Amino acid sequence: MNKELEHSFVEQLEKHQNIVHKVCRLYTNNQDAHNDLFQEITIQLWRAFPKFRGDAKFSTWMYRVGLNTAITLYRKSKRRVSTQDFDAVQFRIKADEYDDTEEEQLKLLYKAVHQLNDIEKALVFLYLEDKNYKEISETMGISEVNARVKMNRVKNKLRTILNP
Amino acid sequence: MDELELLKKDWKKEDTKRYPKLSYNDIYRMILKKSSSIVKWIFIISILEFVFWIAFSLLMKANGKNENIANIESTTLFIVLSVISYSVLAYFFYKFYMNYKTINSTDNASKLMENILKTRRTVKQYVGFNLAFMVISVVVMLPYVMHHDQHTMSLIENATANGHVFKFYAGLILGVLLVLIVVVAILLLFYYLVYGILLKRLNSNYKELKKLEI
Repeated sequence: MNKELEHSFVEQLEKHQNIVHKVCRLYTNNQDAHNDLFQEITIQLWRAFPKFRGDAKFSTWMYRVGLNTAITLYRKSKRRVSTQDFDAVQFRIKADEYDDTEEEQLKLLYKAVHQLNDIEKALVFLYLEDKNYKEISETMGISEVNARVKMNRVKNKLRTILNP
Repeated sequence: MDELELLKKDWKKEDTKRYPKLSYNDIYRMILKKSSSIVKWIFIISILEFVFWIAFSLLMKANGKNENIANIESTTLFIVLSVISYSVLAYFFYKFYMNYKTINSTDNASKLMENILKTRRTVKQYVGFNLAFMVISVVVMLPYVMHHDQHTMSLIENATANGHVFKFYAGLILGVLLVLIVVVAILLLFYYLVYGILLKRLNSNYKELKKLEI
């Protein structure tokens, strides 16, 4: 039974692993920290998995546990000396499909998002994942009105960071 | 174009090259590893606190036996203090366990933070109780010890004979008070540092989340 559970979990996480990578991408600055956070989210997901009833989508359920781990549960490891910081470009695909201006703008945008606090990053993450305000408010445990107000503030803050 | 819209457009370009692709075995190996979440640390530190205070009370008891205090363990006062102390310990242990059980990573962010802070608050109250109990016990038991401990009694007799009885009492009370203040201050500083470091981020995130809630 346990083996079945393990298999089912690992298989689903393997399929949806990009969600965890995306959370790590917003909350960490280098590869070591990314791997550490990925590891902790995986452990928290696995612990919570026996209670996962399947009434929500696995991916939706992952958002909650992933963000909770990044914001609240994860204790940043001090063991590692941080290696070279990510450049936003490192994540980007080598692509001809982008024009230089847009590329430059995105680079600055990712940099700006990294300057936000943990809660603001969570809002940005859910927004980027196309979650509506109802879902954002449910995931964060705040009212819908508050979610909207906070989101507007985040947008303004990003504007200020980008155009000081 | 809205900045976030531009970001969203890029974000949605799911690309396999963008993130490292972990294999089934990589993920399997991860679930076998141990967590290092703050909840685990709060749990460990809290258990250590329970152990510390239980050890402390046992040590005091053992010391009490070695003193020349006649039948201190059968005094009503001592029995009352012991019953209070163990009942409160049982209550806090139960409350701590129940709080700890409610911490669930699938709750919403705000609820999860609240539950962690609640657990921490229980331990804080437990520590507060122990510190207060320690001070009260010393204050309550001190007169008893002064009149029943042979060593102290002979010191009092000597002081009375020399006419220094007031000086003796003042010195004793001040000495006990000073030791109590130092012990309480050290313990408080220790808890403040441990939890302060551990929960700094959580506290500021919780405040940020609750900032606009009415």
